[in-house]
Amino acid sequence: MTMLLFGPELYYLGLAFVIFLLSLRRTPKVQQDYHLTLVLAGLGFLVAVMCLGQKGDLFFKAYRVDLFSQIFKAALALGLFLVLMISRNLASIEERFRAEFYLFLTTCTLGMMMLVSSVELLTIYVALELSSYSLYILVPLRKGDGIDVEAGIKYLFIGAVSSGFMLFGLSYLFGATHSTYLADIIHNMPQLLASPIGLMGLILAMAGFFFKLSVFPFHFWAPDVYQGGANQVVTFIATASKAVAVALLLRLAALGAGYGYSFTQVLMVLSIISMTLGNLVAIIQRDFKRMLAYSSIAHAGYVLMGVISMQEAGFTSAVYYALAYLVMNFTVFMVISEVASDGRDLKIAELAGLWRRSPLLSMSLILGIFALAGVPPSIGFTGKLLLFTSAMNSGFFWLVLIGAVNGTLSLYYYLKVVYAAYFVESDLPPIELSWPTRILNYALCATILVFGVAPNSIIELARAAVKSVL
Amino acid sequence: MTEHMASFPVLSCMLLAPVAGILILLFLKEEQGFLVRMVALVSAGISFALAIYTFVGYDKTLGGLQFVEKYPWVKAFGITYFVGVEGMNAPLLLLTGIVIFTGVLTMWELKERVREYFIFQLALVTGVFGVFMSYDMFFFFLFYEIAVVPMYILILIWGSTRKIYAAMKLTLYLMAGSGLIIPGILMLYSSSGLFTFNMLQLHGVAFAPWIQKIAFVFLFLGFGVLAAVWPFHTWSPVGHVAAPTAVSMLHAGVLMKLGSFAILRVAMYLCPAGFQYWAQFMGLLAAVGIVYGVFVGLAQTDLKYVIGYSSVSHMGIVGLGLATGTIDGLNGAVFQMFAHGVMTALFFSAVGYIYDRTHTRDILQLGGMSKIMPVASAFFITAALCGAGVPGMASFWAELLVLVSAVKVFPIRGLLAIASLVIGALFALRVVQNSFFNDPNPKFAHFEDVTPFLALPRMILIGFMIFFGLFPQVMLALIKSSIVPFIQGM
Repeated sequence: MTMLLFGPELYYLGLAFVIFLLSLRRTPKVQQDYHLTLVLAGLGFLVAVMCLGQKGDLFFKAYRVDLFSQIFKAALALGLFLVLMISRNLASIEERFRAEFYLFLTTCTLGMMMLVSSVELLTIYVALELSSYSLYILVPLRKGDGIDVEAGIKYLFIGAVSSGFMLFGLSYLFGATHSTYLADIIHNMPQLLASPIGLMGLILAMAGFFFKLSVFPFHFWAPDVYQGGANQVVTFIATASKAVAVALLLRLAALGAGYGYSFTQVLMVLSIISMTLGNLVAIIQRDFKRMLAYSSIAHAGYVLMGVISMQEAGFTSAVYYALAYLVMNFTVFMVISEVASDGRDLKIAELAGLWRRSPLLSMSLILGIFALAGVPPSIGFTGKLLLFTSAMNSGFFWLVLIGAVNGTLSLYYYLKVVYAAYFVESDLPPIELSWPTRILNYALCATILVFGVAPNSIIELARAAVKSVL
Repeated sequence: MTEHMASFPVLSCMLLAPVAGILILLFLKEEQGFLVRMVALVSAGISFALAIYTFVGYDKTLGGLQFVEKYPWVKAFGITYFVGVEGMNAPLLLLTGIVIFTGVLTMWELKERVREYFIFQLALVTGVFGVFMSYDMFFFFLFYEIAVVPMYILILIWGSTRKIYAAMKLTLYLMAGSGLIIPGILMLYSSSGLFTFNMLQLHGVAFAPWIQKIAFVFLFLGFGVLAAVWPFHTWSPVGHVAAPTAVSMLHAGVLMKLGSFAILRVAMYLCPAGFQYWAQFMGLLAAVGIVYGVFVGLAQTDLKYVIGYSSVSHMGIVGLGLATGTIDGLNGAVFQMFAHGVMTALFFSAVGYIYDRTHTRDILQLGGMSKIMPVASAFFITAALCGAGVPGMASFWAELLVLVSAVKVFPIRGLLAIASLVIGALFALRVVQNSFFNDPNPKFAHFEDVTPFLALPRMILIGFMIFFGLFPQVMLALIKSSIVPFIQGM
């Protein structure tokens, strides 16, 4: 059943082809294309879920299909479907580029799906670039006054630089171990990590994913891209792409599990700087998406806590948090794209009166924001506490203390959003929501609450998944 | 501690009644005002009734933990859903029931965004119930945060007097406290080597003294913020003043007790050696708080600030009782949590009624309210008498127990506390005289007195206050049944 092993990837390859054909039409049929793509993306999620139990190796063992990769593929498929759900009226992207928008989202998803299954350095790099190049095109696709081009160029440059770092690191790893297979590299790692070449190689190899996760010092693109990209594109970057980055960081970090004191120290420093910097700078932001960009830098720092612990519990909580972050961040972005239905950038102050304009959206917003802030009962709280727990179990007392203090810091700017949405008045008209959006709202709120209070099923799934990585 | 399983999930029902209320409210419309209030009242009423049931139904002779429910929740991290009742939390569950039930009745006249108000208030109270009944640290902390965060919105939207500032200050202070609690809890979790959040199991672990000393500081300071331990109390008077009436009632009445209860339940229970080491320090902070609260209160002219600072002082008594580490001290401290809760709720409830009509809380402006609103004034005066520690009221016994044992353990601090309480009594009487027995302010002459329906919640509060003032043994015997094994286990 080799076909089924490669099932989700084949499906999305086919989907990309279908959308490519759609994009060739001289006069675009916007509504029809949208509904077709949405339905096919929904089917894609079902395909990814059906392939959840697959296990096996492909392409001379460069490609491993296991529970870990399949969970992230399902998450990606869900992420694509959700982003398409909120792309009903893509005001910020011209109608003749709509099909391209769907196309590059799909190829990006395809690239990321291949990424989570790659266990060989070159395959990882090729898959990473497939997903990155799609995003490099998507970011400047927005019609705008030049801010989109600035964002696109920054994204491309910093992406290219971090790819350069990554290739440099990969070459070190290859040079020291004479293999590009992770399975071979891990055998040589214990001796290697004690030497500078191994340490540098591994950390630089992770740079590509630090970039995607916007970990300090590869975070500079985040604020501009978040602000400059179309809301829906940014949603995809802020949800699906982050989850994949966590997956790959876990795969690479597993190489250093148990041996590298200096390795974890480096990661710890990056984690501390990321969360502190992200939270402090987010406080002064006025633009909602820009604030979320800095908050994503802070969240990258939290996720690293799980990576650092280098134990099953830590990896489990990192996977849980990555999935949770996908849901809660998407919830907030959904509110942004509904409130700014004309595709503009939303200032935090423009949320004024949301409780009157749309009680449902304001409920989703408050749950999403509280989840990001780590307030119970939400997946964000549970995820963060699990991360802290596993970091503490590995003896990082100071890291946990700094993380907890950061949680307090972050609350300040998250509460400013709640303040604007719940307290400030405005006389703008109510926001009408279509019924699919209403259902989406209820589903997201229920997910945030239910899996926050009863996380056991997700945790057991994540635990089973990380067994194949460690 | 022996555990007696519940035949019927009383505690889960108590916890879920407000949640069910919230779910129903989500699907109601703002226009259905009466229905909204009824749903809130019924769900609060169910919790109240169940709280009375557990209070009365707890078998003192059997002792131990009763009405226990225990389900494994997250195996990978050793999290259990574990709730139960014993002598020291039964009174606090009852207190929560009383305050939420009377709180809903007090807010009956609310006009603005009623549905949302009750949703957030019920969310808050779910958290409070959860903290008092949880014996698993994960759930304890989860509920603790649930109880804290809705305060921000409640104060922000329905509050008064510098509410934006007060709401943010309060939330950030309390969350900073949480920032200390997390490392404290997790330190105990990971150094136990058991990988469990179950407090009873963690109690069985003999932690190294240095771990206990460090963890105790984190937990004491973290929870101490919510208990308004001096010098971390500054959010509390500001927050009380800004909050709407029922939220002040819940907040001063119940929420601050979460802090002191958590110090008892988590910090002292799990780190006895840490407590022995820091007891002097705790006693010192508590004594300073008592004196400070009284003297700063003297200078206030806003009735709510007066109550706010008296709360700091009364919570100092709780802290002093805990610091003694004796049976009588802890007994009195828990009793004081209950007594002060009912008393403050009555205070705020009475002030809220007057403020809703006169729109002032200035002592000098109010003048002779007793001639205009005799019943509303009587409620306030009763609370003031209770606050001054008049015999026949619940807090008399509580303060007596605490002060007697405090004088034995810390003679100077105890005497200082007694002295400042005398001044406090003097000052309570001055407030009462100025705002209720001076010349009536003609501006307020046309206001009506409390109607029987609105008097009901205040009467319930007075009823409990006097009942436990006359029959303190009911409460003390119950608390003692768990304090004695608690001290022996330390």
